[in-house]
Amino acid sequence: MRRTELWRHFDFWLLGAVVILSVFGVVMIRSVIAGNIDLAGYDRRQAIFAAIGLAVILITTLIDYHLWSTLAQPMYIVVVALLVVIFLTGQARFGAARWLSFGIIDIQPAELAKIAMIMVLADYFARNIHSEKNLRWILRSFAMTAAVVVWILLQPNLSTSIVIMVMWASMLWISGLPPKYLIIFLLLAIVAAGALFPFLEQYQQERVINFIFPNPNARHGDNYNVEQARITIGDGGLLGQGYGSGSQVQLRFLKVRHTDFIFAAMAEEFGFVGTVVIVGLLVFVIIRCLRAARLAADPYGSLIAYGVAILIFFQTSVNIGVNLNIIPVTGLTLPFISYGGSSLVTLYFAVGLVESVAARRKTTEDITGA
Amino acid sequence: MKKLDFLNFNNEQWRYWVIYALLALIFSFYTYRLFVIQIVDGEIYQAQAEENRTSFQSLPTQRGNIYDRNGTILARNVPSYNVVITPAELPEDTGSVQEIYRQLSKVIKIPVSRGTINDDTVKNFTPCLNNLGITEIVYIQNSLAPFKPVRVACDIDEVTAKIIREKSSDWPGVDVEIEPVRDYPTGDLTAEVIGFLGPIPASQEQEYRDRGFLPGRDKVGFAGVELSMNNELEGSPGRRVVEVDVSGKVIRDLEPPVPAVPGKNIYLTIDTRLQAAAREALVSELNYWNNRLGKIISLQGVVIVMNPKTGEILAMVNYPSYENNRLARFIPAYYYNQLYNDPYKPLLNHAISGEYPPGSVFKLPTAIGVLNERVVTPDYVVEDPGEITVTERFYENDPGRPRRYVCHKAEGHGQVNFLKGIQESCNVYFMKVGGGFGTEVPGNGLGIWRIDEYAKALGYGSATGIELPGEAEGLIPDPTWKRLNIGENWSTGDTYISVQGQGFVLATPLQMAVATATIANDGVMMKPTLIKEIRDSDGQVVFKNSPVQVRDITKDKVINIFDENNIPTGEKKSVEPWTIELTQQGMRLVVTQGTASVQFNGFPIPAAGKTGTAEYCDDIARQNNLCDFGKWPAHAWFAGYAPFDDPEIVVVAFVYNGKEGSTFAAPIVRRTMEAYFCLKNIDAGEECGF
Repeated sequence: MRRTELWRHFDFWLLGAVVILSVFGVVMIRSVIAGNIDLAGYDRRQAIFAAIGLAVILITTLIDYHLWSTLAQPMYIVVVALLVVIFLTGQARFGAARWLSFGIIDIQPAELAKIAMIMVLADYFARNIHSEKNLRWILRSFAMTAAVVVWILLQPNLSTSIVIMVMWASMLWISGLPPKYLIIFLLLAIVAAGALFPFLEQYQQERVINFIFPNPNARHGDNYNVEQARITIGDGGLLGQGYGSGSQVQLRFLKVRHTDFIFAAMAEEFGFVGTVVIVGLLVFVIIRCLRAARLAADPYGSLIAYGVAILIFFQTSVNIGVNLNIIPVTGLTLPFISYGGSSLVTLYFAVGLVESVAARRKTTEDITGA
Repeated sequence: MKKLDFLNFNNEQWRYWVIYALLALIFSFYTYRLFVIQIVDGEIYQAQAEENRTSFQSLPTQRGNIYDRNGTILARNVPSYNVVITPAELPEDTGSVQEIYRQLSKVIKIPVSRGTINDDTVKNFTPCLNNLGITEIVYIQNSLAPFKPVRVACDIDEVTAKIIREKSSDWPGVDVEIEPVRDYPTGDLTAEVIGFLGPIPASQEQEYRDRGFLPGRDKVGFAGVELSMNNELEGSPGRRVVEVDVSGKVIRDLEPPVPAVPGKNIYLTIDTRLQAAAREALVSELNYWNNRLGKIISLQGVVIVMNPKTGEILAMVNYPSYENNRLARFIPAYYYNQLYNDPYKPLLNHAISGEYPPGSVFKLPTAIGVLNERVVTPDYVVEDPGEITVTERFYENDPGRPRRYVCHKAEGHGQVNFLKGIQESCNVYFMKVGGGFGTEVPGNGLGIWRIDEYAKALGYGSATGIELPGEAEGLIPDPTWKRLNIGENWSTGDTYISVQGQGFVLATPLQMAVATATIANDGVMMKPTLIKEIRDSDGQVVFKNSPVQVRDITKDKVINIFDENNIPTGEKKSVEPWTIELTQQGMRLVVTQGTASVQFNGFPIPAAGKTGTAEYCDDIARQNNLCDFGKWPAHAWFAGYAPFDDPEIVVVAFVYNGKEGSTFAAPIVRRTMEAYFCLKNIDAGEECGF
């Protein structure tokens, strides 16, 4: 493929939206950390990560995504190995460990696992595109996924586990999961959720219980964060309190405002109008990824772009749902905007994959011509 | 082939559309929710956000001082220093914390660690009142409110406070708190009048909070002038509306702060010097008799000094009293219980709340009534053989049974007229003219209904309205009262007993002072008052009390006229001045030739008065088996005034279980009068003279 052709199909709209969202994220982080000594400099770090991410996008675009197909097996093994290591070291430290420290950079293997699983599952489903869509087809993919998820679940990190399971389910869906299995799985999922609930960590159980049966007396208790998030959002009104002027944000009534609840902070300072614009941009990013999936040259590329779309879609909707108190607190961040180096670079890498797929797509003429 | 697969793959386009539909559905719903929260309910949340960041702070005010008439301080605020520790501000590593505790422990003499932490010690934890070490106190506070300072050592001396202040930069979390504490320089001398402070009662908490007072910081009057004048003394706390962050740190003022207004200063009519002298007179008299008789006769008494022309109370002495300084910081349970359970009730201001039979002093209303109703003329002579017998009848045709009444002088006073009746406090004279006796005093004499009229006209039976809480009304019984409360008809004997101020009759020492003052003041009754003036914190007089005349019984028609069946006719009359004048003469004779002549012998100022000895039976007497006939104990009273011609003071002395008004109470009154005139001379720049 020639260079010119590569950049002809490069999705500048997607890149543009992602850059705008990241810049906005840095700006928003700058506002929410004002006056907090512990978080000082986070805006600058996020900006540096965004800059690195931009390079990652370009580099990833240049790499033919088919390369990842050949790396699927070793990548899978490395991810599982990393997760096992972190589980064992975590055990040794008597607590939850999610980070691996490599000198200056800390890596969250679970973040890595998300991307790795997109590629591994895309590879699996692309290879088995002609297989009969039977139980064996399903269970093999499930086994692959579960072998990774179980270590993440043991960290314990419920939210990432759910993300990966959702990714697996969505891949099944797009690869032609027969509807009868869908119904069976839904029923199974409900039963499993009920059966597994007692095995959750206590704080996870409490979060769920608190969400379903809110305790009206818990002023500073477990409902405090979501309650304050709702007040913060409502305080924004139509046009917002203005950048750096949201009292809930600036006076720190809103907690974890640089990560989980940055949506609420944004809603207070920029109001309904500003928030809808940002949410619209995120939806636009998802739509562009889906577009890349639909226009991809082959099933593997299509599934990668689709997987990234689902990843962004799921994280965005869960995070906003938490902020709006529609679903229980999970700890998933808002893509491109929430603070977090690992997560941001991972997302940029994912967008890079989509760009790589988009750049190597079949032209409209190719499809219609055939 | 490959191309075909690819088409196959992408041909299930509807699966994409499901994803698009999900996307549209979820984000439409989110946009709707966002719209509801931000636009529809926006105002609710904006109000909540406003509430979050807005904090109302109450700025402490200063309670007003209380002074006596000469400007002597009776109640004030003094700084008290407490060592406080804020657990959250202590260093993070335990080593440094332990080092701070060790050094602090040396200064404040509280061990680093003492006592144990368990449910009981945590539940009963009271700062300033525990036996725990520093570590334990901080541990408890850290579990309750780590950001709030807890008092570790209370009421430390100023030097120690300064040492800790200087060290506080080295000892993060440790500080010295300055707490204003009420101080009563005159202590138990004026405790019943001044009272004391206590915490804001739970029942009134909201009301006080609305006005900016904080339970735990601000206190309210619990007794005495501190209670009755609370509204003037308390001042009004200032108010700040501030923006706070989530940790409660003040960011800025949202509104201009309203400064606190200090309470007003109260100047009482009390003269502390006279108060001390009157108390000394009372206490030394009690000690004298207890020592002389070799047993405890009495431990309780009251002295009141009042200006009859203005109603000003110059002294109001209660004994035994209590030390209100011990209640200043907090009210210690053991001390309060001790006072509460004391049979002599030292917490009560007996001058206004104690109801006692007034004894023979109560003959004075009868005396005025007898003349004013023309039962007898002043010269009419009645025979006192020392003992009389009347037939006790409870109803009209009751055959009755004979009952014996005695004079305090066994052989009797012989031929007694009006003046001699008062002078010798002749029971038989007053029984006969008050209740009637055969043909000597026909009918029922003055009769109980009319006796009551004159007693009430002099102020008995109703509260005087002095500016003190808990004033009692006393009791002036009449036949209706007896039927309702005892279930028995009124008998002739009841009148005989009542005339002597015994039986059912009850009066407070203050009522007796007011009644005596009314007679001394030629029938003009002044409202008794403790308040001279009220000044604001700048010293400007905001209220100057002027004498209030309650009534002039020689002009105001206050006496109900009864028909022959003792039914009020609805008409009223006043008291003729000459009856009061004669009564005054009788009282003058009491101190010159009568019952108190020995005690007033050689007193240079012409005085007048009336003795009273009132048999009683109460809980204390009952415990000592004294409530049998003939064994009854008696209170001693003396009500006097001086100078006779132009009275300046009325003095009432009451000695609980004092046996005899003349011997026990009269000397107290004389010494108090001496003190008054001595002080008057000194104030005029002359020699004391006594």
